[in-house]
Amino acid sequence: MARILDLASEVGAYGTRILAELGHEVVRVEPPQGDALRRLHPHLAPAPDLESSAFHQFLNAGKRSFASDIGTTEGHRQFLALVAKSDALVASLPLPLDEAELIAANPNLVFVRIDDGPGELCAYARSGLLAITGEPDGKPVLLGGHIPYAAVGVYVAMATAAALFGKQTTGVGQIVDVSAQQCLAALGEQVWIEYNASGELLERLGSRGGITALAGALPCADGHWMVSVPPSPQGWANFVELVPDPVFKDDSSMADEALRRERKNEILDRVALWSESRNKHEIVEEAQRRHIPAAPVLSPLDLTQDAQLLSRGFLREVDHPDFGRINFPVGALANLMGTAVPFAPRLGQDNAAILKELGELP
Amino acid sequence: MAAARPLPLSGIRVLDFGHILAGPFCARMLADLGAEIVKVETATRQGRLGARRGASRGGSTSGRTPLLAHINRNRRSIDLNLKTDRGRDIARQLVNVADVLVENFSAGVMDRLGLGYQDLAKSNPRLVYASMSAYGHTGPRRAWTGMNVNLQAHSGMMIATGTPGDPPIGISNSWNDYIGGLHTAVAIIGALSKRRESGSGCHLDVSQFECGVAMIGSQLFASAVNATPPARLGSRSRSAAPQGCYRCAGNDQWCAISVRDDEQWRGLVAALGGEVPRLHEPRFATLAGRLTHHDEIDAALETWTQAQAPAEVERRLTQHGVAAATMRRGNDIAEVEEWRQVLRPIDGLGAPGTKVVGLPFSFQGAAPVDAVAAPHMGEHGREVLRDWLDLDDPTIAELFHEAAA
Repeated sequence: MARILDLASEVGAYGTRILAELGHEVVRVEPPQGDALRRLHPHLAPAPDLESSAFHQFLNAGKRSFASDIGTTEGHRQFLALVAKSDALVASLPLPLDEAELIAANPNLVFVRIDDGPGELCAYARSGLLAITGEPDGKPVLLGGHIPYAAVGVYVAMATAAALFGKQTTGVGQIVDVSAQQCLAALGEQVWIEYNASGELLERLGSRGGITALAGALPCADGHWMVSVPPSPQGWANFVELVPDPVFKDDSSMADEALRRERKNEILDRVALWSESRNKHEIVEEAQRRHIPAAPVLSPLDLTQDAQLLSRGFLREVDHPDFGRINFPVGALANLMGTAVPFAPRLGQDNAAILKELGELP
Repeated sequence: MAAARPLPLSGIRVLDFGHILAGPFCARMLADLGAEIVKVETATRQGRLGARRGASRGGSTSGRTPLLAHINRNRRSIDLNLKTDRGRDIARQLVNVADVLVENFSAGVMDRLGLGYQDLAKSNPRLVYASMSAYGHTGPRRAWTGMNVNLQAHSGMMIATGTPGDPPIGISNSWNDYIGGLHTAVAIIGALSKRRESGSGCHLDVSQFECGVAMIGSQLFASAVNATPPARLGSRSRSAAPQGCYRCAGNDQWCAISVRDDEQWRGLVAALGGEVPRLHEPRFATLAGRLTHHDEIDAALETWTQAQAPAEVERRLTQHGVAAATMRRGNDIAEVEEWRQVLRPIDGLGAPGTKVVGLPFSFQGAAPVDAVAAPHMGEHGREVLRDWLDLDDPTIAELFHEAAA
């Protein structure tokens, strides 16, 4: 697999993370004071300052760290030597050095240039996605946890992985331009398709979105559960067995998905009355037995103990040098590719090894 | 002008056994990267979405709804009844000359058809076989059924979004299908690179649920250490303040504003200070101060934005170096420059001049693929058998006769 130099900002850093999950060698090139990811909140005790950012710990996992001041003559020379021995450079613009120097150092470089765009919230607003996120009569809201940045990252990974495969095939590298704003626009394609097909605008549906007539996150005794009632008559029959409200049983018109759609909120409110005294895991287990798509609404904290994630190795119980015994999120692709994902590196942890590989150190 | 370069996946053959959205969308990404796609579908089992949205209703070209016509562009279609021996036999012959197979059935469906990875790898060990079920083919929830909304809920996204006291907040598109499709395309390309070194393909047992969870991996890491759920920040940020969506004049009109440093704050004060004198208060001059007094700043700002059109808010603030953007909808997204850049012309899909969404990135020197409308079911059966299996017309006619029987 390839060696990739990583100068992506927080906008594209999930992309280089999953490139590492694929089995590529990713070298995070950081300034001597450490990169911006190490400064993103939230910070976690009891790790030292530069290791305490949760974003650094997740997004830099699987990568090596090379700390160097590209602004100095020596750092500049070493960086170009590293470029010469790498297959790809993934970098947010503007670059800390002249592009022509990069290509001169390595004419076969895959060079992925990321235009970070106008910032997460503004890019989200311009994409059309903000208009469909939030409560129907409330304020639109950004997807949380920097999910829009992660989405940009997946496209960065795709562009880079494809160009590297092309290089394996043809022997030559190439320049690839990724625009964060275009990535979020592309993810808004249903907004575009809907308007063009029907002249209708997709709306915010908050907790009651979904493609079937009856779908929504409903309150239960210990939080919320999400149901999507299958549109077929059999699906409705199964659902009425799960939620044996006499009104559902007696009103045969409800067997029609189109009629259910008109009475969506009324029906969902009745389902909520049924579920509010029950436990979410019991409800969804019972629903799944009846082939009804249902799931608990989980928080990131709930997910750290999730049996499915633990069973498949997405979460691995580890002894972390700074944080002790934790369930470490390995990622969605690493296990598929048989890639081990080491913890995020300390600043400059791999300097000596990399300089040795470059022949700069004995 | 230099000769055009090929796109990176040129020459790669992909069989799309996908249905509904996630699988066919994954194949579309591979098509846009240069791969050749053949969709294997069965006339008796059409992939359909429910009827809530206009774009999901019938009445489109190629016998597909507008949404599925967009998703299934750039591929040929062969109609095979996989419940017959002959249908499965043709499918296996196509697999033998394919590089990639994509499927998003529930766990076990392809195995029961005799088209599971173990079966197919015997005769094509170079095959990269991507499964993308809701939860993956292993683990306690392997048999669970999950739609996009279920996975949005289950993957933590709806709790990561919104402010304290809000119900779970989702996004009204097929977000998780897209995220699953994108991750799977990345994994497939990685597996193709690995195959070039090892000579062997592999089975990629993707879990769409895990793709969703990975998007908030940092929050999982934080929760694993802190044992507390992450704060729900709404549209706010800890490194930019004020940041949020501000109500503007008109019905449901909003402008996003994000002040990323003190200089931008001074720009905002210069832009609006005449009309909103409170913004001059010295305690708002630093990020720490603005984070502390965020509610107060929001209230002051909104007294002004409520009286303006969002475009006017955007204009005034961006003029002063402050990031501001009108909340766009389907009817005005094409005014955004970057939106126009991802749109590609297409023939045969809806009204003349219809455009579809292409790749949000570009390979220098390589032209994007021309967008081609989705095929009618089975439109290219004979052509595919001729091209991929080198069969002559009498043999093809016989195969179709038997397969239909």
